Amino acid sequence: MGIENKTDCHVLVIGSGGAGIRAAVEAESYGDTIIVSKTITGKGGCTVMAEGGFNAVLKNTDSIQTHFEDTMIGGAYLNDEVLVRTLTTEAPDRIRDLFKWGAVFDLAKDNTIAQRPFGGQRCARTCYAGDHTGHEMVMTLLEKLRGSSVKIENEVTILDLLSDGEKVTGAITCDREGDLGLITADAVILATGGAGQIYDTTTNSTAGTGDGYALGYRAGAELIDMEQVQFHPTGAVTPHDSRGRLITEAVRGEGGILRNALGERFMEKYDPKRMELSTRDIVSRSIATEVLEGRGTGNGGVWLDVTHLPREQIEARLPVMLNQFLQFGVDIRTEPMEVAPTAHHFMGGLKITPETQTTVPRLFAAGEVAGGVHGGNRLGGNALAETQVFGRRAGLSAGKCETTARSVDPTQIKAAEDKLDSFYNGTAKTSDVRHSMKMIMWNNVGIYRNELDLKVAEREILKLQKTPLKISSPRELSDAVITENMLQVAHLVIEGALLRRESRGAHTRTDVKQTWTNETSPFGHTFFVNGKSGIEILEDRL
Amino acid sequence: MKVTISRFDPTTDKEPHFVEYEVPVNKSSRVLNVLDAVRDTIDATFAYRHCCRGGQCGSCAVRVNGEPVLACMQEAHEGDVIEPLDLPRIRDLVTDIAPVIAQIAWMNGGCDCPPVTQEDIEEIKPLRECIECYSCISSCPAISASNYKGPTIMRQEQRLNLDPRDNADRILEAIDKGLFSCTVCHKCVEVCPKDIDTPRKAIEKLRAEASKRGLSLPAHKALASLIEKTGRSIERKEPTFLEQVADVLEPDGEVRATVGFFVGCMFNGRVIQPAFDGVELLRQNGIRVIIPKDQVCCGSPLIRTGFLGFIPELQKRNIDAFVKAGVDTVVTMCAGCGSTLKNDYDTPFRVVDITEFLCEIGFKAPAKVEGTYTYHDPCHLLRGQGISEQPRILLNSVAEKFVEMPARCCGAGGGVKSGKPEEAAKIGAVRAEMVKKTGADFIVTVCPFCEFHLHQVTGLPVKNIATLMMEGYRK
Repeated sequence: MGIENKTDCHVLVIGSGGAGIRAAVEAESYGDTIIVSKTITGKGGCTVMAEGGFNAVLKNTDSIQTHFEDTMIGGAYLNDEVLVRTLTTEAPDRIRDLFKWGAVFDLAKDNTIAQRPFGGQRCARTCYAGDHTGHEMVMTLLEKLRGSSVKIENEVTILDLLSDGEKVTGAITCDREGDLGLITADAVILATGGAGQIYDTTTNSTAGTGDGYALGYRAGAELIDMEQVQFHPTGAVTPHDSRGRLITEAVRGEGGILRNALGERFMEKYDPKRMELSTRDIVSRSIATEVLEGRGTGNGGVWLDVTHLPREQIEARLPVMLNQFLQFGVDIRTEPMEVAPTAHHFMGGLKITPETQTTVPRLFAAGEVAGGVHGGNRLGGNALAETQVFGRRAGLSAGKCETTARSVDPTQIKAAEDKLDSFYNGTAKTSDVRHSMKMIMWNNVGIYRNELDLKVAEREILKLQKTPLKISSPRELSDAVITENMLQVAHLVIEGALLRRESRGAHTRTDVKQTWTNETSPFGHTFFVNGKSGIEILEDRL
Repeated sequence: MKVTISRFDPTTDKEPHFVEYEVPVNKSSRVLNVLDAVRDTIDATFAYRHCCRGGQCGSCAVRVNGEPVLACMQEAHEGDVIEPLDLPRIRDLVTDIAPVIAQIAWMNGGCDCPPVTQEDIEEIKPLRECIECYSCISSCPAISASNYKGPTIMRQEQRLNLDPRDNADRILEAIDKGLFSCTVCHKCVEVCPKDIDTPRKAIEKLRAEASKRGLSLPAHKALASLIEKTGRSIERKEPTFLEQVADVLEPDGEVRATVGFFVGCMFNGRVIQPAFDGVELLRQNGIRVIIPKDQVCCGSPLIRTGFLGFIPELQKRNIDAFVKAGVDTVVTMCAGCGSTLKNDYDTPFRVVDITEFLCEIGFKAPAKVEGTYTYHDPCHLLRGQGISEQPRILLNSVAEKFVEMPARCCGAGGGVKSGKPEEAAKIGAVRAEMVKKTGADFIVTVCPFCEFHLHQVTGLPVKNIATLMMEGYRK
């Protein structure tokens, strides 16, 4: 066993976005806590990029029940009801935590927390800090984290979870230089976020590679609903290298209007009641349809327009958008934005209980890496709330785990080392493999899906998985392992998409005619565990 | 596209070295896309940080052609030279930011504090947008000359200081982290991707609170009481400019314009000749110059060091003096006074720098003056007033030979020279090296503080632009 760098702790948190940091600051009171992330802590997750807001019921005119219902309807009733209850009930307290810790969210004139309307919700429920809400949350959480005893490990990649055959006991790490290490722990929390990076066009940061899905899956944990990938309706279209960059839903929340190349406000056709503030799955499909039917812009997008809004409103409420576009030569105060759907959020993920327990003992999951909270489609503003509600719960659950002897299985280390050695004899460049995967996923496993395209994608991804990756220096080790993780996730997404023979939430099958609605669907979750997969059949609805 | 990247591998290289790369790029590519292309097509071990690709996480700050930028937002150009931030280097473009992070203060909460109000939030917000890219740390001239921890560290101190939920003494902490070492050169604002005005919104505010609590540096306290007593920041040792000059200077021929002249304390009482040259330069260009004798210190030394109590009085006296003189344009020739009148006053008249005004109205071409000249951009002119071209136009018209020099603070500003002279000297020494590199015989500038300090640290003659122009006219 050649690994000399060994650390031990009570709780190991993997991932440093909103859920990871929240989990770590909660866990620290129970014992030594380490937070590991492959980026600089706080910079990696999608939380820091989240613009729109945080849903929480704070007003008398709103109710937890309404938030629950909106989330279930938005999620096409594929959500795990218990998780949604947990989310909606605890979100108000979690925003209050953030306020206690110094959050600088916008306040109304009466000094209560300001809230704005978001898609698919019957009440103005979304708390915000301008259009950099996620950044504000991470800054608040970092202040809290830096004042805590949590040990912060930056730029360390997790290669695999350690297991003693029954429970997870820690992780094998790899630093920037490719040196391996071991962290043993009583409990491990996965808070690694989503995997938008398996698609060519995505809002995700370059760290959104879905490592937690792959790590959990390899450790024997069950995943659900991996086919449910949300395409955010409004991603940037130009310039080419910036395609997919998120244009926040707050733009529509503030009154932005969608028009096709003919100048028609096309949402009238698809959801005349909610218009631009329909749910994301519907708006994305509407835009995709407009483009497919030839009413898109030259660059394959549609127009998102705020030029009718007062300049001051744009400047005060959408400063990040304004500045980003200005840097790309577009003044959104006088010109419309060109937008198209972009891979955004994974509703599926590790199956968890409300205590965030996965199906493997001592392994917990919170945030986007977990599945079930959002069903088939996530409402804007529910993800930031999820990071805090379930991040805290993960910290509590992991913290409360009993301290036990932690054995490290030498054969597992040996297997990992052998595998890494094998990369030196590989043939394929990781960058080439990633590029091929992204194009396959984008072209064949996007908004509109059918069995033929999916089968082709499955075959192509399998081919990539079988091509041994090549590295020439230990410094490329993380890249290779992450690439394998991405392929693993891509495979699961395709598997789920083939299994779910219905259109539900973000998953649309053009080759299936269905007679049921979301509420009467005979299908439950798709599931994936230890190489097996399937879809739940609800017998009583058949 | 061809770019040059600074590479460094501590296991094999003694020194960093530059390597030229040619990679294919798309239209309007960002620097980050070029770095990606180098990694993907040429060298998979090339190390650089990146994450959000949208200017929100601050991971990818690097220097492009010397200036810090976010690689994901900066458009790439042929021939770009890409280097890491000026921080301890780990490998290639990856720097060690851990020591900086360790200095960032966190909230000391848990107190029975009053709840935060919308007013508090509005005040904190501008200090809250920091994405911790550390571009400001990379380019701050004061850090290497003192124990100053840097702009974003001060930003965070003031962010917490403003927050009723925090119950630590951020003033003492800020002083401990070098509050009085900042020269308010505003370089940090220039490089900040979020345009955070740390000098005005944090440094000067923290200094003001320090001053209220009697925690200011002794030299600053002395200066403040001198100004309150005399209306001037310079002790009168000899007859001043205002005592000697006429109330109105009429041009010889046609009157092309009428302006008020704001002299400032240094030119009024310490280095007087440039002021005479300045008004004569205006006069010779057909400008009637009115010089109200009841003008006083602009208040800049007080605002920069945190003594705000006397500011309204100074503002009123100066505004009244020029309003009474009936001018709609006031010319300054001290960069610090100009920046203060433009940014810290609400004047019913227009304020212009002398170089700005001459270029606008047009000036008589002077004869060439012998020698090799370089120009030092005063921070208060370059960043305080956005003026860099005009002095060069004048200089090119008069200097036999003009050599460029990149801008960098000389160390004279922000009360550092009076309060911490040894630190000002250290910043000045770096500037002196830069001057030496140009091979110039003379330095030209438009700020009496820079003039005075640069002469001390370089030993070279430093000329005011007005003096040099007049030399040309007199030939």
